[in-house]
Amino acid sequence: MSEDTDDMFDDLFKKYGKVVFKGNAQKYASAEVDEDAECLSFAVALAKVASDVKASDIKLLFVKPLVYWTRFFIIATAFSRPQIDAIGSKIRDLAETQYGRTATGDHKPNSWTLLDFGDVVVHIFLPPQRALYNLEEFYANATLIDLPFENQQTFRS
Amino acid sequence: MIQPQTHLNVADNSGARELMCIRILGASNRRYAQIGDVIVAVIKEAVPNMPLEKSEVVRAVIVRTCKELKRNSGMIIRYDDNAAVVIDQEGNPKGTRIFWCNPPRIETIKFY
Repeated sequence: MSEDTDDMFDDLFKKYGKVVFKGNAQKYASAEVDEDAECLSFAVALAKVASDVKASDIKLLFVKPLVYWTRFFIIATAFSRPQIDAIGSKIRDLAETQYGRTATGDHKPNSWTLLDFGDVVVHIFLPPQRALYNLEEFYANATLIDLPFENQQTFRS
Repeated sequence: MIQPQTHLNVADNSGARELMCIRILGASNRRYAQIGDVIVAVIKEAVPNMPLEKSEVVRAVIVRTCKELKRNSGMIIRYDDNAAVVIDQEGNPKGTRIFWCNPPRIETIKFY
């Protein structure tokens, strides 16, 4: 359906259209790609840290085409609140020391802890909450990015 | 500008349909709440056969207000209704999906 309307708009644009206004805030495509790559490396580094602290089932989603407010989602499962705390503080440390970014979001370990770095948003869940909110299904259209390290897929509990 | 006795719509699938603000959290004598603020509310209307019942007291985050919200960037956001999302004591939403378009970036809520 979207293709139909796209085609229709394309035809209409060919017939009648010309660009009458173009904002100067538009970026070049190459700059956009560069930023994406930078954020991707940042996100992969964060996911690596989470994996080091034994977070399991880590998923990295490229959600930029779906939502306007961020580029990457990291979704991870931890099995206890101390572990969530450990993952959160490690990620914050790495982001501050190496990338100079600070997170907003939760400071205390909740059953769903969210760290918001602007372009990268990290969700750390306990297993029941992960099943309840089911973010992967909600963002099923997002591109899943393969992580370059061993990912613990199985739930032990 | 949400104050006690204001009725709000609910923007999630938690099972509540209408809330009434009874207290604004954050300061002792605060008059109005804005987008992103946490309030205590009572459920005035609920969907049948859902976990939340009428006249239950819950916490909620305001996500839409008729009163315009000014951002430092110069952006002004204003909606046609007042709406909130039901949360628990930890700040996690009670529902699993939130219905909104172009959400403002709210720090007190887990947005997704």
